[in-house]
Amino acid sequence: MIRVLIVCSWGMSTSLLVDSMLEAAKERKYELIVEALSAGEYAEKVDACDVVLIAPQIRHLRKSIEKLAASVGKPVAMIEPFHYATMNGQAVLEQVLRLLPQNTQEGKTAT
Amino acid sequence: MSSVIERSSDWFERYLVPPLGTLASNIYLQAVRDAFIIFTLPLIIAGSLFLIIANPPFPFLDNLVSNYKNAILVPFQLSFGLMALFLAFGVAYSLAQYRRTEPVQPGILAMVLFLVATVPVTDLTTLKLGDILPYLGGQGLLVAILIGIMTTEVMRWFRGSRFTIRLPKSVPKNVTRAFEALVPTFLLLTLVWGLEWFVSSHTVSIDGKNAQLTLPILLMQVFKPLVAVQDSYPAALAEIVLMMLLWSVGIHGMNIVTAIAAPFWFTTLASNATGGHGIVTEPFFHIFAHLGGSGATWPLVVYMLLSRSAQLRTVGKIALGPAIFNINEPVTFGVPMALNPLMMIPFVLVPVIIVTINYLVFSVGLVHVPVVIQPFTVPLGISGFVATGGDIRGSILQFFDLAVSALIYFPFFRAWERILVAREEDASQHSQQAVEGPTPVKVG
Repeated sequence: MIRVLIVCSWGMSTSLLVDSMLEAAKERKYELIVEALSAGEYAEKVDACDVVLIAPQIRHLRKSIEKLAASVGKPVAMIEPFHYATMNGQAVLEQVLRLLPQNTQEGKTAT
Repeated sequence: MSSVIERSSDWFERYLVPPLGTLASNIYLQAVRDAFIIFTLPLIIAGSLFLIIANPPFPFLDNLVSNYKNAILVPFQLSFGLMALFLAFGVAYSLAQYRRTEPVQPGILAMVLFLVATVPVTDLTTLKLGDILPYLGGQGLLVAILIGIMTTEVMRWFRGSRFTIRLPKSVPKNVTRAFEALVPTFLLLTLVWGLEWFVSSHTVSIDGKNAQLTLPILLMQVFKPLVAVQDSYPAALAEIVLMMLLWSVGIHGMNIVTAIAAPFWFTTLASNATGGHGIVTEPFFHIFAHLGGSGATWPLVVYMLLSRSAQLRTVGKIALGPAIFNINEPVTFGVPMALNPLMMIPFVLVPVIIVTINYLVFSVGLVHVPVVIQPFTVPLGISGFVATGGDIRGSILQFFDLAVSALIYFPFFRAWERILVAREEDASQHSQQAVEGPTPVKVG
């Protein structure tokens, strides 16, 4: 199980990306939970996730988001604007997998 | 061209983003914005529907509802009409989330404190609800925000200080938490009540009637001139320019301007709901300016679908669905508009011209001013009709603005398309390998 938080603004546009990521995960047999939320909700929920992603339109909050993630030891990265624009779930899933610490790669369901 | 793009991008990144970023990442502004959007908006929107039913857009329905008007308005008055009460909860709750402390207790306490601040200290059995109702809604927003912030900050300070009730470690956590909150709760309650008691020992004249002064009435005296200043063309212009400059560097402009302007927009909107004629409100931007998303980019989606550039066609296909619901991140980051000096010109210019047209149209009364708030995702045409409380000219105005947008964007789009087509031809000539995909302009 991989739990991903995407920090964004209203969550409207990000929900499109979330759908695309879930589809990509299903194809590749990963068990994925993705939640799009505001920076405030993120601060509340960061402890219970594996990876934090930042939507490009709130990159002004990047520093404070990264600081909090670092303090609780969670990997964090910005989503490439063009991947976000084209709602490229495949590419963002790749990014999530790269960010995961090696020992927590057990997200793959037994086949 | 690409060196110009890079140089101006660097300039924006160095001089424009840091100050705007600092402003936008202010924790209080973020908490206020979240409070409006997450906690009060659903209630405000649902409540607005009853306002439409009570004031039907078609005359033949008027006779039908006129006898029941007061009854139909009750759900409106107790949802939309209590927005400040919920805002107090929302501000305290959101701020506690940002502060990473328990959010429900400060949220509930903020609501109680807000009521204490709003109700004059008197024999409550003789108090008329109607007298204080306006201050629980549109006219109490500033008090709600201040109380929300104060509640969370005070509770947080006490939790970390030694002025709190400490219990042995063996006591269950929830019990400890309840006792911990006791001291700040009692203190805040006493403070706000004492202040309100002092304030309401004075009288004020409202509509020729003498009434007890309250904290919201007092603060409205200070806030009212500011609300009037915000409801003007220069303010509308400043807000749209700031929004679009932020989006031009790829930052969510609406999100940030909302954080600052929401208290004004909602005060004005609430006054419109009871017969006011304010123009610069949330729907003025979300419904009448951001046609197809911030920047009024609807026409660009159509242009992209018909484009000769592979990148633009790809983005166009993805952008079509979201555009119907006024979401345009695919356009902003896919064309891209953000950090693209060529497209940034119309990206700012189009909304500025639309806002100017609309302000003029609303101020001379060609279209009814926005009274109803709705999700920004309601498609164009419908949203203009609903926002104006059922004025079909609202929809016509939207389509007129759309035509203006289509006209101004066209030459810029063609110029950008030429650059991309040349780039794509270049790429396919110079490498025999399959082109992996469009080359995005790097942002961030």
